Amino acid sequence: MSANAGAGEPEADREVIITRTYDAPARLLFEAWSKPEHLKKWFGPVGYPVTMCEMDFRKGGQWRAAMTGPGGEQQTPFGGEYLEIVPERRIVFSNGFELPGAEKMIWTVTFDEKDGKTLLTIRTLFASIAQKATHVGAGMKEGMASGLDQLGDLVARLKAGA
Amino acid sequence: MPVEQLDLVFAALADPTRRAILARLADGEATVNELVAPFDLSQPTISKHLKVLERAGLVSRGREAQFRPVRLNATPLEGAALWLGDYRRFWEESLDRLDVFVKELKRKEGRHVSKRRRR
Repeated sequence: MSANAGAGEPEADREVIITRTYDAPARLLFEAWSKPEHLKKWFGPVGYPVTMCEMDFRKGGQWRAAMTGPGGEQQTPFGGEYLEIVPERRIVFSNGFELPGAEKMIWTVTFDEKDGKTLLTIRTLFASIAQKATHVGAGMKEGMASGLDQLGDLVARLKAGA
Repeated sequence: MPVEQLDLVFAALADPTRRAILARLADGEATVNELVAPFDLSQPTISKHLKVLERAGLVSRGREAQFRPVRLNATPLEGAALWLGDYRRFWEESLDRLDVFVKELKRKEGRHVSKRRRR
């Protein structure tokens, strides 16, 4: 599929949003995303550590990483470019597998701190609905975050007395 | 990606000619004749390989009646890479590990505040 295969498809149909709240300030979460030695400590599932990670952490800078599986074999590397960096607030970057013709996703990672806790939001915008279906089929939980969003809306409406 | 398609993708990749065709298509679309040229194989043989790749979703054919250029579809390759990397557990476990990691950062920071740094 060419790089812009999904260009005509609405963004809402190509995105997945994942959220989680952490008991830590935004500063530390931003830190965890912004240094290769940190990313290596948490990115990837148990048993698949990130063993290669290069980051030129600035707008326009490139990054790439790869995990190593339990058999000791390095998995397909992935990476992209940093598109926007707002310290302690937001990181936007492209991400895709280093495979011939592979499409890139755009990840927007947002840190919202309140009362010492931080809401982490990871929005993945896929290049096409087909790419999204491939990732969701591989275990990315769709609707996980939108369920939470709806709950948030409901709580807000209840508070407003509606 | 459905398991059946994963079977087709790995079966399609288990042949050196088909992998060479995919490598050629990574540089851009090509007609069947253009794909036949670099190989010491007949056109029907190449066409048979293309059918296997097409069933796996790895290539698609253009609509233009005469030349019908062949294109690479990378999405199934991505599905195969996701399967190999055990991405089913990726998100949940990464976010859990991030929780452990930021707690560790927080603890270290607390220690620096309460103690004087040595260096």
